Order: sequence, then structure tokens, then C-alpha cells
Amino acid sequence: MPNLFQLVLQVTVILVASRAVGFLFQKINQPQVMGEMLAGILLGPSLLGWVAPGVFATLFPASSLGFLSALSQVGLVVFMFVVGLALNPSELHGYGRAAVLTSHVSIVAPFCLGSVTALYLYPRLSDDAVTFTGFALFMGAAMSITAFPVLARILTERGLVHSRMGTLAIACAAVDDVTGWCILAYIVVLIRVTHVGRPPWVTIAGSVLYVLVMLLGVRRVLPSFERSFRKHGQLSDNVMAVLVMLVLASALATEWLGIHLLFGAFLMGAIMPKSPEFAGYLLHKFESVVVVLLLPLFFAFTGLRTRIGVSGGHGIWLYSALVIVVAITGKLGGSMFAARLSSMPWRDAAALGILMNTRGLMELVILNIGLDIGVISPAMFSIMVLMALVTTFMTTPLLEWVYPARLLRAEPVSTAAERVAVT
Amino acid sequence: MVVAYILMVGVPILALLGILDVGRGITAPPSIGGDWNLEFDAASICASGLAKVRQPALNISQSGTEALVTVNDGRAAAFPVTIDGNTLRSQTVTATITGKPGQRVLDGKLDIAGCGPVAFHAVRRPPAKKGGE
Repeated sequence: MPNLFQLVLQVTVILVASRAVGFLFQKINQPQVMGEMLAGILLGPSLLGWVAPGVFATLFPASSLGFLSALSQVGLVVFMFVVGLALNPSELHGYGRAAVLTSHVSIVAPFCLGSVTALYLYPRLSDDAVTFTGFALFMGAAMSITAFPVLARILTERGLVHSRMGTLAIACAAVDDVTGWCILAYIVVLIRVTHVGRPPWVTIAGSVLYVLVMLLGVRRVLPSFERSFRKHGQLSDNVMAVLVMLVLASALATEWLGIHLLFGAFLMGAIMPKSPEFAGYLLHKFESVVVVLLLPLFFAFTGLRTRIGVSGGHGIWLYSALVIVVAITGKLGGSMFAARLSSMPWRDAAALGILMNTRGLMELVILNIGLDIGVISPAMFSIMVLMALVTTFMTTPLLEWVYPARLLRAEPVSTAAERVAVT
Repeated sequence: MVVAYILMVGVPILALLGILDVGRGITAPPSIGGDWNLEFDAASICASGLAKVRQPALNISQSGTEALVTVNDGRAAAFPVTIDGNTLRSQTVTATITGKPGQRVLDGKLDIAGCGPVAFHAVRRPPAKKGGE
């Protein structure tokens, strides 16, 4: 049984810290989610455990973290459904070769640089229980992810969401996220089949069958939810319960298959009907509890696992600097040059690269999966969390420098990006 | 545009295959992370200092060649160790790592009681299964 007093106290402290730091970050023109992410780190061993080890041990004893973890995982399942829901393939249409080249380069460039970095980091920060292939592919995938929701939030806040650059960024980030999650699913299967003892063909055949059932079966049923919404102007509690059950069933299916429960939640969201009114209604329904309550718990749980300066030896700061430079070069540089090659002006291309470099909480989600399956070590996890914080933090000031507010050129391009800015 | 695509997407993918091929020849430090059951000579005069230790006696959080060892003696005392080849070293513990990754064994001397090192033999516990596994 959980110690309820302790659990409620933990949740209260986490919410107070995340709202306070989030508020302060808004004051310096940073997205609130950036402050919430940092609040999680501050509550962990990197700061609270360092300056007040007694308070930290009393507030977050190791025996209590299982319950916090479970709560944060539930929040992530709902969040991944929301992220999938916000993805709209129709937004990719109309950008043609520019979107194809930019999005593919923005994945391949950081992926390759991440893998090259793995040659150096694998003998220093990994161990022989992890194959080089698994480590390098994970590094590549983690380097190439873009925080689709944070990117949408920044674009919305700066009024860039209707510009050509803004809509192209949304389209590329969507492609990046889908590709990144597919690669990550492959890595998870690769790692887990070697540990579980289940024949790989069971996972592979099961995954193919699951995707077919979702795309050809479940997807055809889902418009009935939209019809119910259009008929009544809302979804009844019973209908919402059925929808939540479908999300959970999809998550359980992928977890049972050995992929990860977050993939199931994401795919369920991705195949939902995408009309702006319906998707907006669902996002509104889910986002309050997810953004206000459950995501801060995930940030805090991530912070409790992050030991910046505590593990990894003296070289951790050198490795951190290397990872940050590689991540920025691959993502920002790769996206910018690809956009420029697609005839985009330098200023717009640079702004696109800066936006694509935002990793935010999507990076934290991936890193937690990597630590759970053992493909990255605690020190590597801390380094990558630091990289996620730096690349997210630098986005807004760099964007303001490259693309000052006075130069904003709103173009009449229809997009649903505002409604995807969930965090 | 086609040339740009080949140069910026196709060539790096080929390079990635080369990187993965090169990386297969790189060896990483032996894996010792996880929980360990400890056996030691109870007759040793210094073994009394280990009386409070419960199994799994050690938890090792490894990051490459560095690791943090936590002793399960109620105080959760932790100390850093360095992995040098097949040897684990620190002021508190010295041990040799043997066995395959799934069946690792530690043999060495541990000094957490302050009166002198105690010879020990440690066997790693299988990792706890997570959901879906």
C-alpha cells in the first residue's frame, strides 16, 4: 500500500514547484513547459538532494518512487494519445519537396552525428550488456527527435504559426516525430527480444497484426465518436469512457507485444478523426488534467532519475558539452541547410533549424524509455536530459535574434497548429 | 533537388551502416549494474561489521567505467567505484569481475566496517521483470 500522506505531499510539492518555476520562465519569454521540466530536475538529486539531502530523503524516499512512477506513466499514456491526436497528415500536403528534403535531412543528419558520437561514448558510458548497434541507434533517435507540442506552442506564442516557415516547421516536426517513434519502437523490440526470451517473430508478427487491426478495423469505428460529437455538441461521459478504454487497450496491446505502452497510445491518437472541432474538443477535454497534474509528475520523476554532476565521473561535463554540440549541429544545422537548399531564405531557414532543434519533453519521454530498457546508463540519461533542457531553452532567444517580432510576416496558410500547442 | 537529396539523405544513411559496422568492433566495460547477493566468511573477525547487511547486499548503478555502489545496511551508504578492465576498484572495495554478462560474479575484498577488508563472493540477481516482459 502506498503511504498516501507521503504521495499527496509529493504531488503537492511537485505541483507548487512546477507552477512557480513555470511562471518565472514565462516572465523571461520561455515556454512554461521549460520551467516545469527544470522544476523536476531541481527537485531531484541534482539540486535538492545535493543541498538538502535530509529533506530530499524524507520527501522522496526510494521506496515511494514506484507510486510516483505509476502516476506519471498514466499521464504519459494520455499525453501520447494527445500528441498523436494533434498530428494531422493533411498538414504535410502542399509543401512538396521542401518538406520532404528538410524533414528527412533533419532526421538523418542528427541521427548520423549521434551514431558517430556513440563510437566515442559507448566504451566510456555504456557496458557490454548493451550492443553497440542498440546504443548507436538509440543515440541517433534521441538526437533526431523534435518536441512537436513545444514547437507548436512557441510558434503560436510568436504569431508565426501561419507563416510559411511556421507551417513547414509543423509539417517537418510531425514527420520527425512519427519517424523517430518508429525507429524507437524498432530499438525497443531489438533490446527486449534479447532479454525476454520470446521469439522475435512473435513480436514482429504481433506488431504487424496490431497495426493492421488499428488501421483497417479500429480506425473505421472511430468516426462514430465524431458523429456523436456533431450530433450532441459534446461527448457524453459514457462515450468518453469508451474512448479512454480504447486508448488503454491499445496501450496494453503494444506493451504486451513488447514494444511499449506509449506507442499504442500514440497510434490511437494518430488514427482519430482530425476535424478541427472534434480534435480541439478532445484536446481541451484531456489537456487540463494532463498538463496541470500528470506531466509535472513525469517531469519530477525524470528529475529524480537525473543525477547531473553526481554520476559519470569527472568526464561527464566534457561528454555533456560534446553531446550538446553534436545535437545542435545535427538538428539545427541539418534542418537549416536543407531548408536553404529548398530555396528558403537564409533567415527563414535558420529559424526553421532553431525550431526543429527544440526537443523538450518528447526527448524526456524517449530518454525514460531508454533508461527503462537499459540501453542507456544513468550518466548518459543525465547528459541527454541536460541536452534536452539546453536545446529547448535556447530556442526562444535564438528565434527572437534571428527572427525578431518586427519581421513577422503572417501568411494566410490554413493550419491546425494552434490546437496542437498542448504544453 | 534530387542530387541534394542523395547527398544529404542517401549518403549519410550509407555512412550510418558503416558506423554501425565499425562500432561492432568496440568493446564496452563489463556490465555489473543491478542487485548483488553477497557471500562472505562469517567467521572473519571483521565480518561483524557486515552483520546489518541484508540481501541483496549491494546495488550497483553503472555508467560505463564509473559506478555507484550502495550497501543495503539500512544506512544506504554509497561509494563510487571505477571499472578498469575486469577489475573493480575503490578505497572500499576491490574485486575481479568474471563470467558472461548474464552470469557475472564478483570476487574480492570489501571494507565497510572499518576494521579491515573481508573477502567476499557476489552473484548478480536477475533483473526484475517489467510489465510486458
